[in-house]
Amino acid sequence: MITRRKFLSHSCSLGLATATVSTSLLSLGMARTAAAQSAPNYKALVCVLLAGGNDSYNMLVPLDNGQYAEYSAIRSDLALEQSALLGLPGTASNGLAYGLHPGMPELRDLFENGDAAMIANVGTLLEAFDADAVENGTARLPLGLFSHADQINQWQTAAPDRRIADGWGGRIADLMQDVNLANGVSMNISLSGSNVFQSGNQVGEYSIEASGDGAPGVNAYDDGTEFGAFRKRMVDELLAVQQQNIFRREYSRRLRSAIDAQAVFVDAIGTAPTLTTSFSANYFSQALRQIARVIGARDALGANRQTFFVTVGGWDHHDDVLDNQAAMLPMISAGLKEFRDALVELQVFDEVTTFTTSDFGRTLTSNGKGSDHGWGGHHVVMGGSVDGGSIYGDYPLLSASSPLDVGRGVYAPTTSVDEYFAELATWFGVPAADLDLVLPNVRSFYTPGSAEPPIGFLTA
Amino acid sequence: MFRAQLTRLTGRLAALSATAILLAACGGGGGGGTSPPVAPPPPPAPPTSAELADASRFAAQATFGLDYDAIYALAEAGKGSWLNAQFNTPVTRHTPLVYELVARREAGEFEDFEEDIEYLILSRRIAWWHHTVTANDVLRQRVAFALSEILVVSDNVDTLLIYPDALSTYYDLLLDNAFGNYRDILRGVSLHPAMGFYLSHINNAKSNPANNTFPDENYAREVMQLFSIGLFELNNDGSQKLDAGEPIPTYSNVEIREFAKIFTGLSWGGPAAFFGREAPNFSVPMQMFDAAHEPGPKNLLNGTVVPAGQSGIEDIDAAIDNLFNHPNVGPFIGKQLIQRLVTSNPSPAYVERVANAFNDNGSGVRGDMRAVLRAVLLDQEATASADPATTFGKLREPVVRYAAMLRQLGATSDDGYIFNTGYFIQELGKQHPLSSPSVFNFFLPAHSPAGEISDAGLVAPEFQIVTSNSIVGMTNLVDFAVSADYVTDAPPPFAQVSLTYADYMPLADDVPLLVDRLNLVMTANSLDPAAVAAIESVVADVDDLNFRVRVAVYMVLVSADYAVRL
Repeated sequence: MITRRKFLSHSCSLGLATATVSTSLLSLGMARTAAAQSAPNYKALVCVLLAGGNDSYNMLVPLDNGQYAEYSAIRSDLALEQSALLGLPGTASNGLAYGLHPGMPELRDLFENGDAAMIANVGTLLEAFDADAVENGTARLPLGLFSHADQINQWQTAAPDRRIADGWGGRIADLMQDVNLANGVSMNISLSGSNVFQSGNQVGEYSIEASGDGAPGVNAYDDGTEFGAFRKRMVDELLAVQQQNIFRREYSRRLRSAIDAQAVFVDAIGTAPTLTTSFSANYFSQALRQIARVIGARDALGANRQTFFVTVGGWDHHDDVLDNQAAMLPMISAGLKEFRDALVELQVFDEVTTFTTSDFGRTLTSNGKGSDHGWGGHHVVMGGSVDGGSIYGDYPLLSASSPLDVGRGVYAPTTSVDEYFAELATWFGVPAADLDLVLPNVRSFYTPGSAEPPIGFLTA
Repeated sequence: MFRAQLTRLTGRLAALSATAILLAACGGGGGGGTSPPVAPPPPPAPPTSAELADASRFAAQATFGLDYDAIYALAEAGKGSWLNAQFNTPVTRHTPLVYELVARREAGEFEDFEEDIEYLILSRRIAWWHHTVTANDVLRQRVAFALSEILVVSDNVDTLLIYPDALSTYYDLLLDNAFGNYRDILRGVSLHPAMGFYLSHINNAKSNPANNTFPDENYAREVMQLFSIGLFELNNDGSQKLDAGEPIPTYSNVEIREFAKIFTGLSWGGPAAFFGREAPNFSVPMQMFDAAHEPGPKNLLNGTVVPAGQSGIEDIDAAIDNLFNHPNVGPFIGKQLIQRLVTSNPSPAYVERVANAFNDNGSGVRGDMRAVLRAVLLDQEATASADPATTFGKLREPVVRYAAMLRQLGATSDDGYIFNTGYFIQELGKQHPLSSPSVFNFFLPAHSPAGEISDAGLVAPEFQIVTSNSIVGMTNLVDFAVSADYVTDAPPPFAQVSLTYADYMPLADDVPLLVDRLNLVMTANSLDPAAVAAIESVVADVDDLNFRVRVAVYMVLVSADYAVRL
């Protein structure tokens, strides 16, 4: 049987050499300085992007008989069995009971233990949804609704009326970067390469890998050997060139900062405690494991605030949504549980809030094989500061004549991404006065500085 | 003096490797150039240095890289006649080599290695790299790659990974039509089973009111958004038309649902075909089954109505015509071809000239790819002299950097194959042909990195995959190939690939000449003078001529001056 795993294991067997860079005195010195400066009230946000548009109306499903019947009628061949759903304690704001996808028992446990909560029907909005205004064409709607490229970006920019390069995590880092030691390793650390969420105007993401120590260095560069010194000279003399061209300048700047930050990063992660929590072998769990290790190295990194970003792709289930979700949601559920256990082991579970995002929800109606691009969708938040065990927001009453249904069972969001992100940003430490800078559209839904929180799922 | 260090370095790398990749002897020496010098008709005069640099720059735009002799020949021929010669060079398809490898595998030739290596999965990648490095139809291969980054399918979907001809036949479709007509490309792609599988319109059934099911909207959306017209109405120069200051959407969900009806009724073609068949067959286009095709009229763009009662294929042809004739296609596709081949930020006037060529090749034909490519590659903006102070130019993609390295440094192997699984470039550079994470390719045409580039209102698509990790990875890829002879990972029983440096070894004892030649071939003489000085000073300290060439090559190929071409 031919499998991707075998292909990948073949590739690994070819032994791509991973360079290890020996500790330099310089970077050791920096790590010590960092430890001295580390502040006590560390916090981290972990953004999990389910890229492609998770069909979350099959992740959080009506359990109540009347609403299950509506769900089943609308979803047709995509409906999950009512008896298989993992019932959640309590009810949503509408007084009805809901259950999780049968492949997410760990998430149900997290929910029951108060470690996780669900946020119902979140999506991009410019103003509160008004079916009449949409009907008569006066509604202000996000650009490129239902389109992957726009929607996946807007979930990261929190600017649904514009196409911009910077994300709300990047803007937070622009504001708050001074709380961390300036050692070249960004406040924003990505397990999934460059991304909009973590791109600010001054601060970008620092990319690491899930494997090894996360950050390979330039081969032999300054490794203490004669050749290492020569390699350093080759690279440094090139990088000293004052580039006239804007793109060459950008490339040169990125290579220089990658080399400098790598030495700091690898030394720091060497100080992280060894985790006894075991993680599954899949990419998501391994990425979360690496995030836990970086959090374990926060003192050596001089990090008082960090954001992490990890993408899990492959949720665009126009085809085979049932089989695919049955294979993929368990990975999310188990990964979150492993991550929770590791954070508890590191005694930082209260300081780390993990949240999911996705391009959009999907059509509740079927295309006979799967579902198409939708709008509102349900999300998971997890952490010791999460007031868990509740479904926040408003889970829509499903019905063929729902005023929220804009066609083909596409449900308009009842909670905006701005409210969702305002809660997270405020917890992270963004002052009310700066919330507009981070979330330019927030006042359409929430007044910064209000006595009430935007949603209420986080406690300080 | 550095010979010993080099030996230790390569020894260390080898020790890190799980499988023994034999280090090629650092033999070097002259001779054995990969492209024999072309015997020209009596030349008026040899090309000047400026003409050679101009030809080198053109080669970087139109090919995966030419070596010195081929650049020289191009300079002698002139761009126009070189293009014509390329238009008439027979296509090198990839699928025949894929089928050859499949047959050899079936005959048991690879059995000894199959415990570790999946030849079936690798064969299309092996074919891609071998032909990209060695084929004579250099323009066609490069244009097909550019098209594959616009009309995207990917082996990150298991079925397209596992069936070796899924992506090779798709690529051959792009190769076959690279100099044809864009309508044929759009139609061929829409009916190719790899696309049908990737964007799920294969086995897409008509509406079923009893079951409350509707046609799949996936392909309908992406064929408009990505493959033909884009999201907003465009002027012919690529700028957005505005209505009260706002861009004008080209379609809404209403039109998507109409186009979704069009793309119903298709399934796998070939023997024993039926609608709903699950077993793939990538060797023939998808087949229409009218009984599964949505009946009734369909309302397409610009008021076009497809009448009820047509066959499914007639519907698809009508829809392809509807999209192909939309005024957006010229500027939308034309601008992306400029970005893929020439520069990230073409002026509106440049886009308009290319769009004009798309709209009419001069003989009243719309979509003529030869006219489009001439317009893209021979435009005054593309051929004006390079100036680092301007914003003209682009970051080279990792795949293109790697292919150029193999093509320009004399890659060779004992069995004549330049085989590669692509694993190095995928791991280190975060890119591989037809392996992108989604239909949006590895980077978006409008990606604008925050900071200086975004502030200047510029885009730099390829920077989307340049991270702190991948930028080090690309630097190390050069090192593995140049310092350690980890040139490719040709799977056994195929011979390892090494670089001969045939063009450069004869120049090794003259440092300025060596750097000058590398500067010409690799960067079209666009190395910053300070970079030239840096390379010369470092290289001059290396006594061993073989190692000296490798250090010089390393420094040129990892420089920002090379990474970004002007």
